[in-house]
Amino acid sequence: MLIDIKNLYKIYHEGQESEVRALDGVTLQIDRGEFVAIIGQSGSGKSTLMNILGCLDIPTYGDYHLDGTDVTDLTDRQLAHIRNKQIGFIFQGYNLIPALNARENVELPLIYQGVGMGQRAERAMAALERVDMAERADHKPAEMSGGQQQRVAIARAIAARPPIIMADEPTGALDSKTGRQVLEILHSLHEEGSTIILITHDNGIAATAERIVRLSDGHIIADGTREEVGL
Amino acid sequence: MNFSQAFKMAAKSISSNKARSALTMLGVIIGLAAVIILVSYAQGQNMAMRAYYESMGTNTLNVSAYSYRGDVDVAGALYDYCLQLDDLVLGVSPMGNVYDDPIIKFESKTISRQWQSMGGGMMSTAGQYPSIILGNDKYGLCNDYKIAKGRDLSYLDIEKDNQVCVLGSAVADELFGFADPVGKTITLDGTPFLVIGVYKSKSAGVNVGGTEDGQWIQETINRQDYMILLPATMTRLFNHNQPIEQYIIKAKDSQSLKEVSTLVNGFLAGFISNDNGSFWIDNPTSYQNEQAEADKLQQRFLGGIAAISLLVGGIGIMNIMLVTVTERTREIGIRKAIGAERKSIIVQFLIEAAMICGIGGIFGILVGYLGTLIVGKMNFDIILLPSAGITVGAFLISVALGIIFGLYPAVKASGLQPVEALRAD
Repeated sequence: MLIDIKNLYKIYHEGQESEVRALDGVTLQIDRGEFVAIIGQSGSGKSTLMNILGCLDIPTYGDYHLDGTDVTDLTDRQLAHIRNKQIGFIFQGYNLIPALNARENVELPLIYQGVGMGQRAERAMAALERVDMAERADHKPAEMSGGQQQRVAIARAIAARPPIIMADEPTGALDSKTGRQVLEILHSLHEEGSTIILITHDNGIAATAERIVRLSDGHIIADGTREEVGL
Repeated sequence: MNFSQAFKMAAKSISSNKARSALTMLGVIIGLAAVIILVSYAQGQNMAMRAYYESMGTNTLNVSAYSYRGDVDVAGALYDYCLQLDDLVLGVSPMGNVYDDPIIKFESKTISRQWQSMGGGMMSTAGQYPSIILGNDKYGLCNDYKIAKGRDLSYLDIEKDNQVCVLGSAVADELFGFADPVGKTITLDGTPFLVIGVYKSKSAGVNVGGTEDGQWIQETINRQDYMILLPATMTRLFNHNQPIEQYIIKAKDSQSLKEVSTLVNGFLAGFISNDNGSFWIDNPTSYQNEQAEADKLQQRFLGGIAAISLLVGGIGIMNIMLVTVTERTREIGIRKAIGAERKSIIVQFLIEAAMICGIGGIFGILVGYLGTLIVGKMNFDIILLPSAGITVGAFLISVALGIIFGLYPAVKASGLQPVEALRAD
């Protein structure tokens, strides 16, 4: 089992009147090579779930084993290594660093891995080619369209060849045509063997996934194929 | 992530935020320049006085002693006594002045005392007639004269009553021009004296500035080159053969000087009583030490002000680094999300801070040098330059401030959960 969470809670302002249970006892297993869409209304806890799955945030209670490792026990430094090597992130807002050009942005995870300069540039260019952005390598984010920025962000996510890609509303800020392009890239990565976890509120996009998990008020209320979940 | 990577990243970040970086540097520049200028000002202020004291020779005592009774040889007794103190005393010399104003001649050149009427009386025109000094082989040593050509007076010149002289550089210039005076003979009121040596100029290269004090000090130092030294025994020819009553004693160091002062005082007190003579001992080095103390106080005061301005600059750096980090919280979140360790982020921000402060520091030194030159020219009319110690010290302090004040925001930023940092706008 690649991802194995049991009774996961994320509680804000615990014990106070303003207490919010973003995740209220979530149990979920994801296998290597799956393409999982996590759907739900805004405020259902899906982003919180992705942040915890991606080791960007820590749960209040519960177990999380990633590839057999108990992630809740790890130090800050070990978590940084997991984010660096195991997971590639794609965000709704692209989250590129504005001062760096496309290639430099894609190189970042490789820099933190300690990959040498020559090999780094090569791998970054290969990743950019993979998303058809090689000719834009010297452009800064501000000089690119939203779709182009998101493709650079995908190149950054795959540059270090992590086994898991986590995408949080990757098409949310894009028009339907470019959104489809991004989705196609995710599917082809899946075909090449990556595990894809896609967060979306768009049922049409979620419907392309082989497995769909529906969240509501911090609980999983449905988990299965498109037909089983009722899309 | 290696160091050179972090360095490149910091350079990129500085250059992509030029206005912000420039403002931060401004704080360092002002702080550092203020330190350099203020400390240099304090040093410049005391430079003229120091030059004055140094030209007079250090660790010396001026002794005046005379006896009413002709049969008491004060000079001989003092000389012998000082020889006994040879572990404390470097030399002792009579320091008499020929006040007969003999006419000085070399071939067709003549120097004589010029008088002019002034306010009803007659005054000598300043600077036109040299001091003719009666001393011995230690006179040059005691008064910090160094031989430029020929030789100094020797013990034998005194013993053998040789009619020789050593010229100050200004007198040599006036009488001989570019010719070599050594071996030539000058006359004083017709008495021939063989020139055996010329002293180096004391005023050459002295930097005291063009203020009123500076000019006075320069004049005083210039006067010291306008002298002729004769063996003390030449009193037989001048001053109506009166004994010399002034002496100069040079001690080994300032510690010995105090001892010598006490000892000589005791010796003279036993030798000369109130009814047969009089003496006093003047210690110019004690004024010098008082002056040095006052200088030190003033430098500390100005240094304190300078330290405050450097601190203000440092707080400016801390402030801007905090703003930077807040502004770039999202960037830190992104970097953490894609695998930056806490250490990498701290290192990046530290290098950034150190670079800004280092570059600001270099400009601060430039501004400090320029400001010091201007202050030196305006206040003391000299080419004043900051000392290397102050410059290096202040530079290191400003870079250290950048690192210290850059550390807090870097630690703060790197400690955030990635998700919190990503949420920031």
